Amino acid sequence: MENAVSVNQLVKNFVLKKREGMRWTSSETTAVDGITLSIEKGQSVAFIGPNGAGKSTTIKMLTGILHPTSGDATVLGCIPWKERTRLARRIGVVFGQRSQLWYHLPPRDTFELLSKIYEIEREVFQTRRDMLIERFQLGEFLDTPVRKLSLGQRMRAEVACSLLHGPEVIFLDEPTIGLDVIARQELRDLISEWNRENGVTVFLTSHDAGDIQHVAKRVIVINHGKVVLDDRVSRVRRQYLREKVLSVKYADTPQSIELVGVKTLIESGHAFKFEVDTLAVPIERVMSEIMRAGSVVDITIEDPPLEEVIAHIYSTPPESDEEEGEEETDV
Amino acid sequence: MSKYFYIALTSIRSKLAYVGEIGSKTIFLFVILYIFLCLWKVTYTETNQNALGGLTLNQMLWYLVVTESMILSLPPIATVVDQDVRTGSLATQLVRPLSYPLSVFANTTGERCLSFAINFFAGSLIACLFVGMPDLQLHNIPMFLLLLPLSFALDFSIYFLIGLSAFWLEDTTGITLIYSRLTMILGGMLIPLELFPDSWQQILRVLPFSAIVYGPARTFVTGDFHLFFYLIAQQLVAIFIFAFLIHVVYTTALKRVFSHGG
Repeated sequence: MENAVSVNQLVKNFVLKKREGMRWTSSETTAVDGITLSIEKGQSVAFIGPNGAGKSTTIKMLTGILHPTSGDATVLGCIPWKERTRLARRIGVVFGQRSQLWYHLPPRDTFELLSKIYEIEREVFQTRRDMLIERFQLGEFLDTPVRKLSLGQRMRAEVACSLLHGPEVIFLDEPTIGLDVIARQELRDLISEWNRENGVTVFLTSHDAGDIQHVAKRVIVINHGKVVLDDRVSRVRRQYLREKVLSVKYADTPQSIELVGVKTLIESGHAFKFEVDTLAVPIERVMSEIMRAGSVVDITIEDPPLEEVIAHIYSTPPESDEEEGEEETDV
Repeated sequence: MSKYFYIALTSIRSKLAYVGEIGSKTIFLFVILYIFLCLWKVTYTETNQNALGGLTLNQMLWYLVVTESMILSLPPIATVVDQDVRTGSLATQLVRPLSYPLSVFANTTGERCLSFAINFFAGSLIACLFVGMPDLQLHNIPMFLLLLPLSFALDFSIYFLIGLSAFWLEDTTGITLIYSRLTMILGGMLIPLELFPDSWQQILRVLPFSAIVYGPARTFVTGDFHLFFYLIAQQLVAIFIFAFLIHVVYTTALKRVFSHGG
């Protein structure tokens, strides 16, 4: 399948100036250090990493805002920093911490303005706007000034605005930041529905494991400016941490289970929660021991929470510790 | 270009959401005009002159209505650009198929046109109350209406350049303050250039400040053709030079866009 995004050895260095007494000194810091990746059209990818890992810098290079120090990248066949305006018509971007809506005006006015900015034909605009209003349930607050909207309503409108011109790729930079559980879930569902039904390529950055789990099929982890993991979300969950959590309920008191690699986390009456190190002991062996120990009423096997997987990946030291984090200067 | 026109219209609609703020400026305008009316009345009486710097008392007050309306209508252009650069909001602008300088121009000029219209309307009521209708010839108005948008464009381009300096400077408010005061003083906001010493006048007439404030206001009250054609040429040349400077500085600045988390 054709690639929507292709990145080859992308590097971004920043010059950091510091004042030492009366003198200014400058040092170079590497925010993105030779990233190579490709994303097929229609894929949904979570691009994650700890603060200062280089996520936002990468997204800004892929949307044409930043010029890289070296390396190549194409998005929908365009070199972003050279063809920014052309590319802008084919991509949608949502920065969770910045708004594209006019603060004193209702979302309807921003829709109208965006239709002029993207030069969308009137009929196409009206059809797409009405569809977005319905799908994102914007009708109830479409004519309410943005300043009076809740954060959840505003973010739904933000994402809908970024889809108005029918982008082929949508970049979402922490779209659920600050949202409550319900608003977050609604937004995740909408994004993944749009990806599934309209074939839009989704490139998502987030610190929320739920976003990654619900929206993305593939996860790329970046740390210290380098890609440290690139795999399917389900496989990362299954393979990256070797522990499984088994919850077992017996009909009566079972015999004790003593196996290397099996740790009892919780014991409450006839219910037990075990943590199993699958490298130390095969899961089949543990299962047969559990069955042998007593009459099992209920049993569930769970993967560890994605948060733990991510935290484990982040805590893995980089190959080289010489690189520094992302530039933090607000310029 | 229709997209930029629509941005200007949207900006006007947005500005209308807080008309109270604009209204408060008209109170200030009333006070200023009243104080200057009193001052000029005394000056005209003491000097026993019908005209000072070629303007009658009626023309002088109407001159002030125009200059004050223009200055008070100024949106915080340099601050907008400075904040876009400093907070990273520039990113949301750059991901659209737009020219950032033109979109800021459309946004701030839409706002300025509305503020100017309200200020001018309020100022005109005050002037009519104090000195009566302006002594105008019909051609003064189209001449003024041609000079006014060029004056706004020229003023914008200078403020925009100052805002762009945020890419290099820690704080741009100092330069903004200096430029705004120069426009007020050397641009003839309070005193027409004719009342400056002769040696100063020669210099002030070639500086861009006079093409921004003095020129349109003087043309409004006198309808001087010679001044009008000189001003049009001066404004166009100055806009061309500053637009070129914006192009060079903005292109260089874009390569300096830094990134930061979030």
